[in-house]
Amino acid sequence: MLWNYLKIAWKVLLRRKFFTAISLFGISFTLMILLVVYAFFDYAVGPHRPELRTDRLLFVNRMQMLYKGGGQNNSSVGYAFVNQQMKALRTPEKVSVSEANPGTAVAYVGQHTLKLDQRRTDGAFWQVLDFDFLAGRPYNLPEVRAAAHVAVISETTARQYFGAVAGAVGQTIEVDAVRYRVVGVVHDVPIVRLFTYADVWVPITTTTDDLRSSNLQGAYQAIVLARSAADVPRVQAEYDQLVARQPLPDPQRYERLVSHALPLMTNLTARFGGGDVGPSSSNRFLRVLGLLALLFMLLPALNLVNINVSRTLERSGEIGVRKAFGATARRLTGQFLVENIFLTLLGGVLGLGLAAGALHLLNSSQFIPHSEFALNGRVFGMALGVVLFFGLLSGAYPAYKMSKLQAVKALKGDNAA
Amino acid sequence: MLKHLFTLIWNRKRANALLIVEIFLAFVVLFVVGSLLVYRWQNYRAPLGFAYEQVWEVSLDPGVQPKAERYATQQQIIQRIKSLSGVRAVTRTASNTPFTNSHSQSDVGRPGEKGFRPTSNVYYLDDAAADVLQVPLEEGRWFDRRDDGAPVAVISHDLKELLFPHETAVGKLVEADGNRRVVGVAAAYRADGDFANPKPATFLRNGVQDTVFDHLRTLLVRVQPGAGGALEKQMSADIRAIGPGWSSNITPLSESRDKQMKTVLTPLVALVITCVFLIVNVALGLFGVLWQTINQRRSEIGLRRAIGASAGGISGQIVGEILVVATFGLALGLLAAAQFPLLGVLGVRVGVYLTAMALAAGLVYLLTVVCALYPSRLAAGIQPAVALREE
Repeated sequence: MLWNYLKIAWKVLLRRKFFTAISLFGISFTLMILLVVYAFFDYAVGPHRPELRTDRLLFVNRMQMLYKGGGQNNSSVGYAFVNQQMKALRTPEKVSVSEANPGTAVAYVGQHTLKLDQRRTDGAFWQVLDFDFLAGRPYNLPEVRAAAHVAVISETTARQYFGAVAGAVGQTIEVDAVRYRVVGVVHDVPIVRLFTYADVWVPITTTTDDLRSSNLQGAYQAIVLARSAADVPRVQAEYDQLVARQPLPDPQRYERLVSHALPLMTNLTARFGGGDVGPSSSNRFLRVLGLLALLFMLLPALNLVNINVSRTLERSGEIGVRKAFGATARRLTGQFLVENIFLTLLGGVLGLGLAAGALHLLNSSQFIPHSEFALNGRVFGMALGVVLFFGLLSGAYPAYKMSKLQAVKALKGDNAA
Repeated sequence: MLKHLFTLIWNRKRANALLIVEIFLAFVVLFVVGSLLVYRWQNYRAPLGFAYEQVWEVSLDPGVQPKAERYATQQQIIQRIKSLSGVRAVTRTASNTPFTNSHSQSDVGRPGEKGFRPTSNVYYLDDAAADVLQVPLEEGRWFDRRDDGAPVAVISHDLKELLFPHETAVGKLVEADGNRRVVGVAAAYRADGDFANPKPATFLRNGVQDTVFDHLRTLLVRVQPGAGGALEKQMSADIRAIGPGWSSNITPLSESRDKQMKTVLTPLVALVITCVFLIVNVALGLFGVLWQTINQRRSEIGLRRAIGASAGGISGQIVGEILVVATFGLALGLLAAAQFPLLGVLGVRVGVYLTAMALAAGLVYLLTVVCALYPSRLAAGIQPAVALREE
């Protein structure tokens, strides 16, 4: 039965190639645009190196103090708070402390200036995250404790500064007039990985900042690795308790301290979505995104509906015969839906191809530095979901309308419906 | 004739409903994207209100030096940079330099007037800024040595219009970080870049008494044309040599401008690509539907030809019909679009909305006519003898 439907659908598609082309154009481009957007999204928050274990990672990079009369004071987290209090937490497997935002540092190659983003981290940073080492190794805990001048650099930095990745390890790089020995070279981290990316990573103890300050607010962040994905809520709960226990720095002025340990996506959406940063803020952001995608699909879907409806006439003879021989309206609706989904699936395949091409173009143009957008299983699954939804959205009304044709009128060729 | 067309479409409103909704949505998309584009374009055409070429921003980081010593070190650094060959002028300022999206705002008003105090961007600059930023003045002058001793300010065109709408501002007092006398009115100043709206701006003169380093830690340096990496390296080495533990970050303003343009243009370009795709989609769909309709109405058209309608009359009717459908869609769309200026959704000037509305409506009509041309010619070419025989 289904096979027959598909064969009929194929023949109908071939009969009027112009209309098929219009429909496929609409479907494939809609899908391409949605897929490119989703690939961006996945690239920014999906499990990619260095944040490979996204389901076990939690990020703390905001410490808000709410004023009594309203208003708030936002900042990253203080070093001592993370290094002493958070590292003493019982539930996480490991806690790492690093600078929340990389600073700009300058290196010179001959007369040429290199602007490098430099991030100071502790040794655990390399254990909670999964960097892709092309050469060498990360700096270790004793080196961090001794404030050794060692650095891990990115592939591009190695190429720009030393000319090649091979042989960079063991050489000296001078950043902001400080000399560091390169111990490792990692694959480039894209700038959209806000919490981990940099061009040069050096031990946190080489900073000129006062690390003993007991201020809760500071320029640092914590990256927490939970023992398992199921353990994440317990880590969050323990962290919330820790925050609740903190004495307020100035009880006269401040009312409350707000800080949460959030997964990667929630953390980013909270940053750009604004508003209250709670564990639920991600849902609101996703809802808005979903609504926008739906609105975007509406016009192409409506277009497909229009074309399908206006083509009902072509099929009226067939529908009349089927009805006269006892096909129910339900069965006909089903058939037309299957046909439409078949059409959208075809468009989907085209759309995937187009999206792959568009992403390749974006990567090769280096529009976003070091970007490596790609289609993967998640993107593919998303595509399938969108295609099915689109097929139903655009097929339901025409199918209903076709199935409602009266057998007598349809056979007569009367199409005043 | 026109009334007749409207009646025809109205009677078939159920059948045309989907087309009308599609045109409505297409209009709304065009209107929203058009508003943003017109807004950005109008801003892009306006002058920036300062010169950014050959200006470098030098942001200083004093490291761990005790606060009390920082000002003296900074003065030494300024003297040293001024003496470098290839440097024309140096001015001290806060971190709200052009193209950085960093703002420092306060409410500025006339002294004694409590009620009306518009928010203004505040820029701390000194006499050399006249040469560094070359802010064009509409009235009065930039501050200079004559102002030693008395606190003065220069306000921008937009702030002048708010505070002194029908009078000259020069010589009047404004309250911004204390009472200050206005010595000049600058043209509209847009530190937020080529695509941003001008905002009220107040330029305050750093007096000799401003011996605090921390809020004025950035330098703007005008260099000679052709100065490049060598001078930059020299500057940063000198800064490090004068202030132990000091570091600097030197960025030409033109570089910051390119960066900012990219962040503004990227979403716009993505939006335009999406919009073009949607519109092409609508056009193709419209074309298909019209073509199909002509095929369905062959006998009707054949009959009309048989009783004497001209080919031009037929194609005129087809185009007229689709224009009426478009008008229905547009009427709905205009209703929706009228909410934008009323609610201030996109936050742009009312004139921009009106321009965008006119543009979008024109485009929709153009689109429908172009899509109807071929089907209408097809209809005009129907031979009554052939069409009626098919009955």
